[in-house]
Amino acid sequence: MMRQSKLIGTLAVLPAFFIVAGFMAFPVMFALYISFTKTNGLTYDWIWFKNYTDIFVDPIVHQVFLNNFKFIISVPLVIFTALITAILLFERFRGWKFFRVIFFLPNVLSVAVIGLIFRNAFGYDGAVNQFLGLFGVEPIQFFIDANYSIFIIILALIWSGFGYQSLLLLAGLTSINPAVFEAAAIDGAGWWRRLWSITLPNIRKVLGFVFIINILYTFASLFGFVFVMTAGGPGYETTTIDFLVYLRAFSSNNLGSGAALAVVLFIFIGLLTLVQNRVFRLQKED
Amino acid sequence: MSDSDSISTQLNTRGRWPIFIAMCVLAATIIYPLFFVVVTSLRSNVDYKRDPFGLPAVWSVDNYIKLWDEYGVGRAFLNSLFVSMSAVTLILIFATLAGYALAKLPVFGAKYFTATFVSVMLIPGPVLIIPIYLVLARLGIVGDYAGLILVYLATGLPFAIFFLTLTFRAIPEEILDAAKVDGAGFFRTLWSIVRPMGASGIATLAVLQFLGTWNELIFALILIPDAKMKLLTPTLASIGKRFVTDQPLTSAGLFITALVPLLLLTFASKYIMRGLQVGLSR
Repeated sequence: MMRQSKLIGTLAVLPAFFIVAGFMAFPVMFALYISFTKTNGLTYDWIWFKNYTDIFVDPIVHQVFLNNFKFIISVPLVIFTALITAILLFERFRGWKFFRVIFFLPNVLSVAVIGLIFRNAFGYDGAVNQFLGLFGVEPIQFFIDANYSIFIIILALIWSGFGYQSLLLLAGLTSINPAVFEAAAIDGAGWWRRLWSITLPNIRKVLGFVFIINILYTFASLFGFVFVMTAGGPGYETTTIDFLVYLRAFSSNNLGSGAALAVVLFIFIGLLTLVQNRVFRLQKED
Repeated sequence: MSDSDSISTQLNTRGRWPIFIAMCVLAATIIYPLFFVVVTSLRSNVDYKRDPFGLPAVWSVDNYIKLWDEYGVGRAFLNSLFVSMSAVTLILIFATLAGYALAKLPVFGAKYFTATFVSVMLIPGPVLIIPIYLVLARLGIVGDYAGLILVYLATGLPFAIFFLTLTFRAIPEEILDAAKVDGAGFFRTLWSIVRPMGASGIATLAVLQFLGTWNELIFALILIPDAKMKLLTPTLASIGKRFVTDQPLTSAGLFITALVPLLLLTFASKYIMRGLQVGLSR
């Protein structure tokens, strides 16, 4: 009886397992294999680490990694906006639940939609230029300048990210024992003092989590924004790693190079996740 | 500081007004761009350039009609609907089976299955682009919805199983035991007990997964090259590229693509907000 139900249980898991193994786990192994070959997708020549050594001396790859680091500027900005929003939402003023849904709104939209809203707004005849025009400013071609482009993508990141993250932080705030606040209030600690000495230290774990997801986001999820807003240009100045993987995959005759880049990205993200786990474990112990 | 405030953990009523106003301003930064998109989509390009911030002199749905009929947005909308519904249905079926088994039944090597599902959740999308393309090409299903749905299924399942395992764990053991005593088999228990008792979790998952597949861009872009079969997000991206100088037209495309998610948020926000909490515990 027991054995029979164990068999049924296993059979119920297997279909999902085969799909995930076949189309998630296997492709990652396959990517690793491809990264050691020179290939056009039909024939594979084993060339050991050549793709990797090529990447490390490729000036475009250097530039693209540097671009990704520029996008990290968005991380403190998103977290700061999210934190302020969370702290204000935590005051539970009238209608805060409604605001919660509004702030979450960008999260249900496609990156293609968000990206195009911002591309439109900063386009030559877009809302921003029209608005500046009211003050007699000549229209600016924002997207021919890499600095403007990066700034606009960062703005889109903040716009679309702060709401969800403020809800994550709000969940952290809600889990603080209210007695701690009351004790502090009785001791005469003002609102600011409580914020600094109680609220923030108590949510550092959630803050850490939000920090890491933001970093991961800037390294692995900018494709959509870059694709619809700048297509990586001007030159390679707004190309990110994930966009370069796409470019290499579909415009060069060596897929191995793109795969090697993807593997490097994967290892980088894996290391970040390890660091995150290590930090969390330390905090659980203390 | 008043007496009541010294006990309250929060600001007094007077202190709350600035907060309320700050929140309204913040909310406006989200609502206004969307409002602007909707208004812009309902006017001609000439009318837009004449007075972009005012209301249209003539309201018209011409942009929508043009996009829907001439630029393939209508077809793309239906394609996206078909692919998303198929993917979500399949995800729900496979994830319910696996989630129920992992939550309530003995499974050979359950630990390893769970470990696999959790660890593949960490795989960043860009890593999969090249190998998935090559694997599907080898199977001969690039350019076929089957391939795309399979990819959405594989990338959606790990979280779905994780989510439903948590949901189904909450079902009381006694009820399942009672069903067993009554002679209910695996599928009967799944259908008559697990499904209704986990209904709100399943609904939450369905909404989240639908949003995910509807909004997905990169695989929809690379796996469906045929213009007639294109999904909505790649169609919108190419319209955005083609009509850079016609903001009302692209705005209409934006609103069509955003409409379904916005409707879901309006009518299923309860489920979406609940899904959020589980997302955090991940």
